Formats: sequence, C-alpha cells, structure tokens
Amino acid sequence: MDALHSLMQGFSTVITPFNMGMAVLGCFFGTLVGILPGLGPSATIAMLLPLTFGMNATSAMIMLCAIYYGAMYGGSTTSILVNVPGESASVVTTFDGYQMARQGRGGVALGISAIGSFIAGILGTFALIFVCVPLSAFTLKFGPAEYFSLIVMGMLCIVFVGGKSISKSLMSGVIGMALGTVGIDVVQGAPRFVYDISQLMDGVSFIVVVMGLFGIGEVLVSAEERMKIKTINVKLKELWPTLGDIWQVKWSVLRGTAIGFFIGALPGAGATIASFLAYGIEKGVSKHPERFGKGAIEGVAGPESANNAASSGAFVPLLALGIPGSGATAVMLGALMLYGLKPGPMLFHTNPDFVWAVIASMFIGNIILIFMNLPMIPFFAMGLRIPYRYLYPAILLICIIGAYSLSSNVYDVWVMLIFGVFGYFMKKYDIPGGPMVVALVLGPMLEYNLYRALALSRGDMTTFFTRPISGTLLAIAAIMIVVVTFKAVRMKRALIEEKEE
Amino acid sequence: MKKGDRVFSIICMGLSLWLILESLKFSYLSKFGPGPGFLPFWLGIILGLIALFAFVNTFSGEKKDKGDEPRLPGWGSLGRVGLIMLIMAGFALFVNSLGFVLTVFFFVTILLFALEGVGFLKSLFYGVMFSACIFLIFLYWMELDLPKGLLGI
Repeated sequence: MDALHSLMQGFSTVITPFNMGMAVLGCFFGTLVGILPGLGPSATIAMLLPLTFGMNATSAMIMLCAIYYGAMYGGSTTSILVNVPGESASVVTTFDGYQMARQGRGGVALGISAIGSFIAGILGTFALIFVCVPLSAFTLKFGPAEYFSLIVMGMLCIVFVGGKSISKSLMSGVIGMALGTVGIDVVQGAPRFVYDISQLMDGVSFIVVVMGLFGIGEVLVSAEERMKIKTINVKLKELWPTLGDIWQVKWSVLRGTAIGFFIGALPGAGATIASFLAYGIEKGVSKHPERFGKGAIEGVAGPESANNAASSGAFVPLLALGIPGSGATAVMLGALMLYGLKPGPMLFHTNPDFVWAVIASMFIGNIILIFMNLPMIPFFAMGLRIPYRYLYPAILLICIIGAYSLSSNVYDVWVMLIFGVFGYFMKKYDIPGGPMVVALVLGPMLEYNLYRALALSRGDMTTFFTRPISGTLLAIAAIMIVVVTFKAVRMKRALIEEKEE
Repeated sequence: MKKGDRVFSIICMGLSLWLILESLKFSYLSKFGPGPGFLPFWLGIILGLIALFAFVNTFSGEKKDKGDEPRLPGWGSLGRVGLIMLIMAGFALFVNSLGFVLTVFFFVTILLFALEGVGFLKSLFYGVMFSACIFLIFLYWMELDLPKGLLGI
C-alpha cells in the first residue's frame, strides 16, 4: 500500500503542464533520433542530454526516461520499414517485421510492435515497482564489501554477454576501467594519469565517451558506407492491427514481457539478448515454426515486447543498487550525478518524491508513446527518406553541442572526437563498446568500495569471502567464470575436431 | 579478421605495459589497503594477459569463415572518414574565435560541398539553414552557453 500511495504522489508530481510537456518532448525527440539507423538509446540519451540542462532533476529525468522509451520505440520502425535495425535490440525484429512489410503488412507490424511495446512497458513498470522496492530495502544492508563483490559480478555479466568474443569484451571492459582511473584517485587524492592537463583532474566524462563511441563512431561508419535507405511506404489507415491480430499475439506479448523484464534486470544482459531469447521461445512454442522468418506476427510481437520490458528491467539495478546494467542506464546514472543525486538504495529514502515521479512518468511515457507513435509513424518514417548526407551533419552537430555544453569547454569536444575515431575502429573490428562504457562508470565505484571495505576490515582481504552476501556474489562470479571457460574450451575442441574431419 | 584481432591484441599489450609502468609511479599500498597504484597495476596485468591470450589465439588453426575476412575499409573510405574528422577538428579549432553559429555555417557548407558533392549554392543554403536552426533552438530558445566569437552570436 505504501508503494501505491507513493506512486500516486509520483503521478501528482508528473501531471503538471511542464513535466507533461517534457515527457511529450522526450518521447518525440527520442523516437525521432532513435529511428535513425545505428543510433541506439545510449547515444540518443547522451546526445539529447543538453536538452535537460537548466531543468530540475525530476523534470530532467522524466524527459530522459521518455527519450529512452522513445528511442526503443523508434528502433523498431527502421527494422520493419527499411530492414536496418535502429539499434541492436531491434535486430531480431527485421526477421519477420521486414517480411511483413514486404507482404504489404508493414502497418500491422508497426501497430503490433507499438501495442506490444506499450503493454510490456506498462507491465514492466509494475514489475519494476514490485521488485525495486523490496530489493532497495534489502540492499540497504550492503556495505562496501558487498558492493565490491556486486560490481565484480556485474562487470563479469556485462563482459560475458557483451559481444561475440569474450576476450574482446574483456579487453574493452579493462580499458574502460583503466580510463576510470584517470583523475584524482579516491584513496589519497593523488592525481593519476593527468599529465598537467587540468581538465583530466575530474576524470574522463563517460557521457562524452558514449557520444564519441556510439554517436560519432556510428555516424562515421554510416557516412563511410554512403548509406542509402529505401523505405517501404505505410499509410495511416493501415497501421491498426485487427482484433484477430492482437488476440493472436496475446501470449507472445506476455511471454516477451516476462522474459524481457527478467533479462533486462540482469546487469549486462539487456534488451538485445531479451529480444533474441523471446524470438527463440516464440519459434519454439509455435505450432508453425516454419512461418518464422517469413512474416510471422508473433516474431514481431514477442521480441518487441521483450525489448521494451527489458528497458523497465534495466532500471532495477540502477534504482535499487545504484549500478548501471547497460550503456543506456550508465548514461542515466551519469545524468543523475550531474543533477547532484546519488543513485542507489538510499535514493528511495532521501529523494522519494524524485524516484516515484520518475517511475510514474514511465507509465505516462508509455501512454504518450502509443498515442503519439501510432498516428505519427508515417511522419517519423518520412525522416528516413531524408538523404543521409543531410542527416549526418545534423547528428554530428548535436553531438558537438552535447559535448560542449557539459562544461562549456571545447576540450570535451576534442575528447569526443578522439573516442569517435576509437568507436569507428571498434565497430570495424567488432569490439563491443558497452563493456568499456559501463566499466568506466563502475571502475571508480569498484576502487572506492575496495578501499573502504579494506579500511573497515583493517586490511583483511577475507572480509570479501566471510561476509555472507559478498561471499555469495563472489561465488556466483566464480561459477560464471568456470562455466564460460568450460564452454569456450568445448567450443574450441569442437572446432578443432571439425577441422580435423 | 585475424589480422585485425592481432593488431588490437598488440595495441592492448602495449597499453598494458604502459599502465604497469605508469602505475609504478604511484604507491601500491596505503595504510589499510590499496594505494593509487594498485588498480592500474592489476588492470595492466589483466589486460596484458587477456591480450596475450587473444594474440596467441589468432595463430590457432580455426576454420576461416566469412567473418574472418578483413572488414576494414579501403583507403578511399578511410580517406572519407579522415576528411569528416578533419572538418570536425577544424570545427573544434575555430569555434571559439568564429562563434558557434558561424562555425556551423562553414562546417555544413564545407561538408556538403567538398565531401558530399552537393552544389555550391545548395551547400550554402543548407549552411545558412543549419546555422539558423542552431541559433533559434540552442541559443535563442534553450539559451545554451555556446561560444559567441566574431559576430557575437
């Protein structure tokens, strides 16, 4: 009942003309940028962060959440109409969504995707409340040792599921952590890797890194390929699926929601894995699996519901533990810090108005998106017809404005450009950027908690293993390492045997 | 892609060596626990080991598939990316003296005319349009603190 009461108070905070306006604008801009191929929610939130400057923390976060959801919605539009995923979580939507569009059912695919995402968003936000509140109460028991072990476990999760190659993900994560050591160290206050550059004292801004890796890097890849986009036209009257279509996918949506929320709540797993898993399950339970890949409506409904529910799930580690589980929530965490808030379980006690307003805004954001997106899909799709040579200068300019506005200094623009080049080559070499960004955020937290835990135990390393919660988390991390190593060795053996044959 | 993986592993090994050497300049331990040099030192060691493993792995005789083929672009594409970066670097270099709006005009015009082969007048038109939009949205409406420069805008 307490949660319900707090949620109602959250709604009363959100339902003001200004906050509602910010939610609408966030949904609009999020969808508009998210619809552009390659630009995922992390880059979209980082790029549009300057729009929130000058607002109070609550309005800013309402807008950022709306941008996040908008970007997720937008991603599916390009998958269905162009066969180019707007972001990685929508890759799987291309399998059946584009086929439906080719068969003249693109409008139905877009409609089902929007309705599935809406249901998943609403149910996911309810689940967020039911999981987050008790979890945040539980994590209040966490000390530095527990946080250290949690971060170790979270980092391993992110690395192991972060990309095709574990070694590349690991290297990306370690480089991210190394970047996190730049600046004043948390132990003695000594400047590390600063080399007399005063701006480096504050460390490397990960928002700038995100804009560089995911924004500039992506634009460079697309501009290099002289991207040409051919969209399939959709008329407004074709957007509404029939009741029969909706009835047909009811279980797909519910299954996708459950899978998406659970996977999204795990650090590192995120919307992409959730959508692939949902697709696999839909195909597995279907009586006609042969229809998948040829325009099966369940192949759109399940994954799209899963990736939206995963967005809600991703808020669980952020709000209850104060650690980001994905690139997008890492940017959110950075935004919270910019607004002077300390993310973590204490947020529910120190800033309950803020937390509940943000959660309430997720309900409202989803409602705005379904009402805004269904009729406006043809309008958003028109954006895809603008030649890329005119679009990418605009994206680059928004990135430059975003980087410059962080500290009103051209230094951040230079840093972003450097990471843009890194992002380009990382993309080319298939090196995942996600582990680097999350490690950049978690690295300083890890070091701080390691130091505090050892200071409290007077240098006794066994504190990490003897404290029950910390020990359990480290045991899970150890099991993960063993399982992944075992699987890697088995795969290698299979490859060698295959070669010998 | 093995060549690419090899290059990346070598870069990471170099980075790990640099991290280890630099970390030695800081104290490894403090009174109760790690000092400022502790984490960079171990990150260097871990990065070095993973990079070495990845490097050795590139010599193992795995079957080549399509994904193993080099995907790095040719010099033409790299030149195009380099030019975009050069124009962006020019933006960062001149934005304080020229002001944001004027730099946007030059940035867009040069990008479209020199790189995208858009006609000169059309490029000028887009340069003006982009500058006007930036001025109206970010300077006039949002009142962001962007560099003013020569023209005071």
